[in-house]
Amino acid sequence: MSSPDADATAARSVDQSANTFAGDVWVNFKRWNLKAVRNPFVLVVSLVQPIIFLVLFTEVFGNVAGAAVSRGGPNVGYETFLVPAISIQVALAAAVTSGVGLVNDIENGMFEKVLVSPMNRTAVFLGKTAAELFRIAVQISIILVLGVVLGAEIATGVAGAVGVVAVGLLFSLWFVSFSNALAVLTRDQESTIIGANLLQFPLLFLSSAFLPLSTLPSWIQTFARFNPVTYGVDAARAMMLDADVMVVIETTAFGGALDSVVPAVAVLATIDLAFGAMAVYLLSRASSSDVQ
Amino acid sequence: MERTASDGTGESATGNAIDADELRLVYGDGTVAVADVSLSVPEGEFFGFLGPNGAGKTTSIKVFATLLSPTDGTVRVNGFDVRADSRQIRETIGYMAQETSIDPEMTARENIQFACEAYGVPRTERDDRIAELLDLVDLADEADKRAEEFSGGMKKRLDAATALVHEPPLVFLDEPTTGLDPKARNRLWDYFRAINDRGTTIFLTTQYLEEADQLCDRLAVILDGEIVADGSPVDLKRRVGGDVLEVGLDGGSEARDRAAVVAREFGAFESATVEETADGISVTAATARQHGTDLLVRLRDEGLTVTGFNVRAPTLDDVFLAITGDHVEELDGASGPATPAEATAQEGDR
Repeated sequence: MSSPDADATAARSVDQSANTFAGDVWVNFKRWNLKAVRNPFVLVVSLVQPIIFLVLFTEVFGNVAGAAVSRGGPNVGYETFLVPAISIQVALAAAVTSGVGLVNDIENGMFEKVLVSPMNRTAVFLGKTAAELFRIAVQISIILVLGVVLGAEIATGVAGAVGVVAVGLLFSLWFVSFSNALAVLTRDQESTIIGANLLQFPLLFLSSAFLPLSTLPSWIQTFARFNPVTYGVDAARAMMLDADVMVVIETTAFGGALDSVVPAVAVLATIDLAFGAMAVYLLSRASSSDVQ
Repeated sequence: MERTASDGTGESATGNAIDADELRLVYGDGTVAVADVSLSVPEGEFFGFLGPNGAGKTTSIKVFATLLSPTDGTVRVNGFDVRADSRQIRETIGYMAQETSIDPEMTARENIQFACEAYGVPRTERDDRIAELLDLVDLADEADKRAEEFSGGMKKRLDAATALVHEPPLVFLDEPTTGLDPKARNRLWDYFRAINDRGTTIFLTTQYLEEADQLCDRLAVILDGEIVADGSPVDLKRRVGGDVLEVGLDGGSEARDRAAVVAREFGAFESATVEETADGISVTAATARQHGTDLLVRLRDEGLTVTGFNVRAPTLDDVFLAITGDHVEELDGASGPATPAEATAQEGDR
């Protein structure tokens, strides 16, 4: 600091130079990863339900659903059809914990402690979100490996698998934003969990996740058109099957799987922006007016 | 305030750590938490901010710490404006909130480590600083246990450690020793004194008037969002108007009533204040020491049985009673800090 008082206060070791934006992101990234490792329960619970779905659906509905899939969509085994959907389910389930983490921080005073520190506030939330995205990427990878073990085929190989993870991350952002918005608005852990979980099943079932849309009632088809899950699942599935599987937006401009992936990614990015803006607005309002 | 440099260089033209001029803060729901507070805290001072719950202590601290933006008035902290230069202020203050603020999922060491990183304590100094602070708050043996296993007092001590990692020139302590046992409290007092001796300005609020008396160079009393008295502890006690004679009596409330009448009519005291206490009466008067025994003799002559007596200098409790009147009960009645669950609903405690 260029203060003339600097000499007089030389004994005081306030170090401003050490705080950089990237440094602040890193500090918070580390903290939230540490907390995730400390709390394996959260990690496991958000994986267990999708895994149960993956195993039970393929075992119980495999034969019936497989026929429906062949009739109304790509000619692949149900495992292969289901794995992209479960990947999106993992993203959805894990995104809820982002808001829960924020509520916990508000409740135990860490939110205020961080606000009163010189850390850049944008960097603080970036670091936290990055840690959550990292965790989602790990969890989706686990699902992909498990799916392959169960007999799913990834037509595009490792590159396709990376693509599925990337789509899962892109998809998760809007729900991460949504759960943080819930957290700021309710400031209550139970409400945040219930609010976010309540939406999970309708979102999953009223989409192209478990069966091809053409085999579903028309009201579901209509709803699915406005459901972000449809776009996430279709993009992931197109990448996994290397085929254009999306029916809610039909285009042939890009060729092959890209006819699904490009429009779906565009839609997801738009939704992310909208929800992200809302979360940023609510968070900055909460930050500037303190925890009232 | 016009004298102060407004270019954000942080030059404190006044030599004050805090300059608040007509600070006013009104919450969104219309609650006037701070009506009109003007105060200056010179660099290096150990300043105490007292007042009953809901008087505006915590709200004022939150404005100084840049957590709340003032509705009106000018506030400069370490020479920086709270509205324009909040980041510079955050770099140069330590803040210990009223509600204990630690991450229960991390160990004591990790909590302090995180604070070091948040405040940019140089990497080379971190390990030493962490060890020093753990030792200071007596948590060295528990350093690698998760904070969720700690008792309330241990959590509070850990919180104190995290507020001091960057050795800031100005530290805000909002009821730092609430809920601590006497040993832990004394330990923290020693440290607060030590960092104050090194030149650190300390802004303290407390429920314990004894704590304020022990530690503070100067005190201000806030009531309903306005400062109603300030001065050194000795100054404030002098304003009570003399020493206090406490007399214990047999015979219940009837005896106390009679004794109070006798004391009020007792000619040797000029302008005495007489109050009935739980087991007798208390008389505050300038000449309580000189003529105290005369009063005792008079009471015996009136047929009252004196079971005990004591002449003492006034304490801050007496000051408080005199200044805040009815409000003092709220202060005494207040126990530990609000639990996190209550924190959202405790509008009245700001």
